[in-house]
Amino acid sequence: MSLTAEIEQGIDCLLSEPPYGMDSERRQRGLLSLFKAEIAFACEKNASYANYVKHWPADFRTAQIIADLPYLPVGVFKANPPLSLISSEDVKRTLTSSATTGQVPSRIVLDAATSRRMGKGVLTIARDFIGSARRPYLVVDTPENLATQAQIGARGAAIQALRSFATEIVCCLQPTPGGEPRLDLDRILSCAAEWKDNEVLVYGFTYVIWMQFVQSLKSAGIKLDLPNARVLHSGGWKRLEEQAVTREAFSRDVAAVFGCPRSNIIDYYGMVENVGVIYPDCEYGNKHVPTFADIIVRDPLTLAPVAMGGKGLIQVCSVLPTSFPGFLLLTEDTAEVSSYDRCSCGRKGPSFRFAGRVPKAEVRGCGNLESKRQRQPEIVGVA
Amino acid sequence: MITTEVVQVVDSTREITAAATRLRDVVRDEEIVPQTVLEIFENWSDALGDREFQEIPGLAFLRLWLRRGTLEPILQRELGPNALSGGWWEDGRARLRAFPLGLIGHWPAANIEIQPALSLTCALLAGNCCLVRVPSSLVDVNRRIMEKLQEADRSGIVTRRFFAASFDYSRMDLQEAMAQSVDGAMIWGGADAVSQIRKLTFPHWSRLLVFGPRVSAAAMDATTWGNAEERTTWCRRIARDVWQFDQQACSSPQTLFLERSDTCDPADFVDDLRKAFEEENVAHPRQEIAPSLTSAISLVRASWLLTNNGTSAVFPQAPDWTILLGKGATMSNPTQGRTLTVLVVDDLLEAISKFDGTLQTLGLGISDPEREEILTRAAGRNGVDRIVKLGRMHVFSSPWDGTELIRPLVRMVRHVQSQE
Repeated sequence: MSLTAEIEQGIDCLLSEPPYGMDSERRQRGLLSLFKAEIAFACEKNASYANYVKHWPADFRTAQIIADLPYLPVGVFKANPPLSLISSEDVKRTLTSSATTGQVPSRIVLDAATSRRMGKGVLTIARDFIGSARRPYLVVDTPENLATQAQIGARGAAIQALRSFATEIVCCLQPTPGGEPRLDLDRILSCAAEWKDNEVLVYGFTYVIWMQFVQSLKSAGIKLDLPNARVLHSGGWKRLEEQAVTREAFSRDVAAVFGCPRSNIIDYYGMVENVGVIYPDCEYGNKHVPTFADIIVRDPLTLAPVAMGGKGLIQVCSVLPTSFPGFLLLTEDTAEVSSYDRCSCGRKGPSFRFAGRVPKAEVRGCGNLESKRQRQPEIVGVA
Repeated sequence: MITTEVVQVVDSTREITAAATRLRDVVRDEEIVPQTVLEIFENWSDALGDREFQEIPGLAFLRLWLRRGTLEPILQRELGPNALSGGWWEDGRARLRAFPLGLIGHWPAANIEIQPALSLTCALLAGNCCLVRVPSSLVDVNRRIMEKLQEADRSGIVTRRFFAASFDYSRMDLQEAMAQSVDGAMIWGGADAVSQIRKLTFPHWSRLLVFGPRVSAAAMDATTWGNAEERTTWCRRIARDVWQFDQQACSSPQTLFLERSDTCDPADFVDDLRKAFEEENVAHPRQEIAPSLTSAISLVRASWLLTNNGTSAVFPQAPDWTILLGKGATMSNPTQGRTLTVLVVDDLLEAISKFDGTLQTLGLGISDPEREEILTRAAGRNGVDRIVKLGRMHVFSSPWDGTELIRPLVRMVRHVQSQE
């Protein structure tokens, strides 16, 4: 069997398993050989990546655990052209991360196969948390994020990943000439009246839900009567932390606005570089890793995996991508390992709690050279 | 006997102005000659020899700096022939003598443990009194270092000439109070820190000595790095320069230029360098690291190798150290964290010709003195201020950053006899 076929079959096999049914030991065995095959495949396709793997301190072919395999830091996807394992004709879509002003976004190239797996991966995970029924899908964002484009941002990708659950899609924010989107209140109220006791799926970036949706409805004194709404949100807490909004306050107020139980508000962790995998919070506040992925939390001092309860840098591992070398990625986020196979929610595999983002590295001390000296032109004629 | 807390936590501008007033009285009323200060410094150096001080980064340099043998020649060169006794010296029909500038404020960098002490010594040798802001992260270590000065200076001759204060960097009221009190300042650190302090309102007469951000590099000719017998020693010297101050100092080498050799393989040199780094890491393992530095190290390893234009690298799994090997004549951007970029270049002059004023120290390993002379002159022309042997890149000496360390802190008083 060719390497490509072997990989394809291995991924499909894992994707068809229940997402949280495999214990950590069995998962390790299955994933390790598949990751090795993917690394070998990527080395064939990309000489630069092969150069990186060649210089890794240990030979990946003899690795006994996933933690010993060569991983890439996510920052490498900010390179231009994007790090890729496919020819430009095979690029179906390019995903970009949500970089803040002045930052360079990551760019991830997807071919048809990776794109398909991405959809299936998110679907499999989300189904475990919200059920498989199709239902109205309320997007707390503007309609342009729904458009199918060759280049798509993190928000658009997250919104579109949940499309398969939708019987209809309603975007409740409208763009304005000033740039700040406006909540379409009439639309919301009419949808709420129509959907009432139905299951409803809601998705939005965390800060967008809070600032554009919850605050607007609260200030108007409006509560929607949607007791079966399930609200998924992602995108990080930085902006809300700046406004001193706690997770508890967020869940409480969002639940109050929708008129649904607080347990229906689900935060998940994810990133475009780890395409097809999302890590929703279970009812015990832990984030879970599906069968086709793994997570390693590494001690910043040694980069060795931490023991249960330890904190460190998150390495995400996913077998899904074959269009870019994103199988094993060291993120710039930190987490604490909650447990292996022992979460009270019953989901097997590792679980963790997000701890925060690593601040941007700064060159420190008197060797901190931020700007080059310029040879000044001679100043003449100074009185 | 220790009578007062040697580094005091300060919370009000009143405490700073009170200290400044007292110190101004001392500097006006009590002359001190360099000879006296040297004696006390000699004792201080001895006192710092206790085993418990050995782990303080840079302490060996401080002890060496405090020695009479180091400081006497500097004083004589900078302040004149009779400088040690505080006497006048003839200058044609006039005579000259160094008098202290007055009260000197010190803003040391937060990454060099011994810098508050080093900065202080320059001003004390010039007969000044001093206000020192000890960065919060360095308070404990400097308390220990300065307590040894108190021990060595039992009569308090030198100790009563300075006030070491600790307060948060963001307390602009205290920074302002300090700036407004001084006749001169020694300001050290990174771009942000230096710019912030320079913005403070200093009196119009005050002299500012700014030792701002710089980077450093190293260079070796083909004969030197190609010599398999001596290579191990050179590699140890480089490792020592990289390890000191965790590569955060302005004198830390970030890039090593190797002159291309027709007979030797740079990979062999890198292999010896790897062994030296491994040994240094065993001797001086890192105790902690900022996660952001770990991320930066991981990223530079990957980015370097992914460029794949003949690049290679050697590093362990841990972020302990990294050697990046490639070709080129342009300094790499510093990552710090014991990350050394080794660049093979056809001609070292090509690399040196690209230096600008950002490069402070050039550590050299050159076999031919004539060749070294050519390289040194080229480096000087291109803004390099210190050119030293590899392994000695951090040895503190005057001038530093191209500036004398003591002379700018005195006023040279000229006297012409009125009866003449």
